[in-house]
Amino acid sequence: MHGIARFRPLVGSAVLEIVLVVLCLFLAAVAPYFLTAENLLNVLRNVSMQGLIALGMTLVIIAGEIDLSVGSMVAFAGCLTAWLTGALGSSGWGLPAPLAVGAAILSSLAVGFMSGALAGVLRNRFGVPSFISTLALLTALSGAAELITNGFPLTPFPAWYNFIGGGYVLGVPFPAMVFILAFAGTHVLMNYTSFGRAVYAVGGNAEAARLSAINIHAVRTAVLALTATLAAASGVMQSSEIMSGTATTAKGWELDVIAAVIIGGTSLAGGVGRVWGTMIGVVFLGIIMNGMTLLNVSEYWQHVVRGGLILLAVLINRMERRGR
Amino acid sequence: MDSRRHTLETVSLRKEYPGTVALRDVSLRCEGGEIRALLGKNGAGKSTLVRLLGGAVQPTSGAILVDGHTVRFRSPREASRRGIATVHQELSLIPGLSIAENIFLGRLPRRHGLIDWRTACRMAEALLAELGLALDVRSPAGKLGVAQQQMIEIAKAMSLAPSVLMMDEPTSALAHRETDRLFTLLKRLAAKGVVVLYITHRLEEIHRVADAVTVLRNGELVRTIPIADANAGTIVGMMFGATVRKERPPEPPPSSAPVMEVRSFSRGEAYSGISFTLHEGEILGIAGVLGAGRTELLRGLFGADPHDAGSVTVGGRTVFPSFPAQMKRLGVALAPEDRKAEGLVQILSTRVNINLASFWPPSLHWITTARRERSVARRYVHEMDIAVQSLDSPASNLSGGNQQKVVLAKWLDTGPRVLLLDEPTRGIDVQAKQQVFDIVRGLSAQGIAFLVVSSELEELMDVCHRILILKKGRTAGELLPHDGTLENLIRLCME
Repeated sequence: MHGIARFRPLVGSAVLEIVLVVLCLFLAAVAPYFLTAENLLNVLRNVSMQGLIALGMTLVIIAGEIDLSVGSMVAFAGCLTAWLTGALGSSGWGLPAPLAVGAAILSSLAVGFMSGALAGVLRNRFGVPSFISTLALLTALSGAAELITNGFPLTPFPAWYNFIGGGYVLGVPFPAMVFILAFAGTHVLMNYTSFGRAVYAVGGNAEAARLSAINIHAVRTAVLALTATLAAASGVMQSSEIMSGTATTAKGWELDVIAAVIIGGTSLAGGVGRVWGTMIGVVFLGIIMNGMTLLNVSEYWQHVVRGGLILLAVLINRMERRGR
Repeated sequence: MDSRRHTLETVSLRKEYPGTVALRDVSLRCEGGEIRALLGKNGAGKSTLVRLLGGAVQPTSGAILVDGHTVRFRSPREASRRGIATVHQELSLIPGLSIAENIFLGRLPRRHGLIDWRTACRMAEALLAELGLALDVRSPAGKLGVAQQQMIEIAKAMSLAPSVLMMDEPTSALAHRETDRLFTLLKRLAAKGVVVLYITHRLEEIHRVADAVTVLRNGELVRTIPIADANAGTIVGMMFGATVRKERPPEPPPSSAPVMEVRSFSRGEAYSGISFTLHEGEILGIAGVLGAGRTELLRGLFGADPHDAGSVTVGGRTVFPSFPAQMKRLGVALAPEDRKAEGLVQILSTRVNINLASFWPPSLHWITTARRERSVARRYVHEMDIAVQSLDSPASNLSGGNQQKVVLAKWLDTGPRVLLLDEPTRGIDVQAKQQVFDIVRGLSAQGIAFLVVSSELEELMDVCHRILILKKGRTAGELLPHDGTLENLIRLCME
């Protein structure tokens, strides 16, 4: 504690950024392949689908809510897209493939939006904590994904569909593009718009926010709907990457996503957090996993290490805040 | 319960806080058998005395004697073990636990080391029967209304078989019938030799229940008089001392253009049939004792809490206030009573808090928000002389007075027509009070109308153009500070 307290003035609030740089330097030294464009782009692709959801989750947690259903939503949205593509296209209505795929994607995003909005309405109208309603959605969506796929992967996609999850634009993986654009969007939203400020206010003190004429119901519903939509988008990309709708995909993602947000310095108590922090948290976790894989650390150890890191990051955050 | 007469005595009891003396060498003697009313205006030292006797704080000097023995309490628990029970104004029941468990919390009867629920329930039922209550003691306390919860608090105090029972404004939540029952019970307790100390703001209650009246003023004991000598005039005189009429600065009378008309505004038992008109630039005070419905009325007018009936007309538009954003659109603003919990988001910066009321509906000029935020914050910090180290440090660092200014600034930024101020000077120092009122006067001169609730009646006399008196949720009169006197106002509120 004292050790950290002493060097705090030096590092300010950028502890995590510095740790990240040190980690990268270390990996570059011990694993020469680490610092290649190919590997780094690979890391970026690997983190982008969870990262996309983590951006929304940051808003949800800052608003004092939580969304546990994002993992199931990824699986469900992927399966729904696959099923609709089949039903609207070759094996059903016979729509041309691009049209069928487009309609399927939009429907999945809409279902995601409505699922998040539902959690918001339950919270506002009936006082059901989002922890509970999204826990219910986690189970229900996962079951629904099994139902529409009958337990087998659906593979109705045309070959070009693989672009969304596996393609490149100007040498950058398409999902990474989406992630970076979404990062820029949420960063601006939270730092430069009055809506973002309202999100902080609602999470910091809902009653004071309400008495300041902020529509706290709208804020909660909006962030939950946004996150569920991002989860659905992530599900579409995931289905494109594996070229199928698979009900068992993305199990447990909700916890990875929440871990990245927490590592990034967002407080589960609400009102405190940064989108930039989440970006760092996401990249940090991605690089740790990549580094351990490059160093041939067993997968079991990778999980143990990741657990330890989450604790450590939160401890650093706590101490930093107490020091202020 | 033994039937001998208990006694409670304080000898030169003194409590100092950094910078102030809250209680100044108070020597007091109460005997079992009598009910003693304790009176004094806000800040007179009543609650300090109650806290000292109840063990919540320790005296700087002086002694407390119970039944002739000196006692020293390091905690409320020690005091209650010595037989001193306190019923506080605020409810402290745990809503999810049963009535019986609440009554015996931490002291549940045991058998073979396990909780003996049957005995606990039987004892709880017996206590409630004594209070004339027939409730299922196994049902959760949170299901009860406020008045019944208050009765459970009283039962909890009784369960200690106290030798001294202190009650801090117990009737503010009680209905008439329940008050009667409480008074009967207090008299029965006193007859058993228990010392009863009764704190209230309501003069008419004193005559119904007390045998003697002790008045505190500025932390000092003024005098104790028998109830027979306690008429309203004497008591008010003792409470306020010789009041000096301050010269009010000459001010232009408010215009006759109405900005807000309230018609037959009602909500259950909290307030009913409230009608008044607020004019441009007028500062209208609302006076009344605790529980008169002042805060509830302001929150109702702002749409923060629902109301049952009545309408509000602001700027020519008649509405039924139902949520704050609606009233903000009409130009109505509220600075709530609990500044810390409801006025500001403590963990966010002063800069954000000054802009707090302008976030909704979200602005379309989004990219400019951050820059606008800063310039707005700078302007108000400068105009209102808000002492702040950095605009970016949390609002929790600010003093009470500066927090209040931030709340005002937050609303001024929305261009309001009517500001509802609930206890705007509570917990802030004299200089800051003056500054807040200077700001209010300045804005009133610009045409903004104010509705000010305050327990500090002198302040209302000082700053208001007109004062409405609220009693048990109804309008009980009106007073013009220029014509009336403070004594008038006090008597109107308390009788």
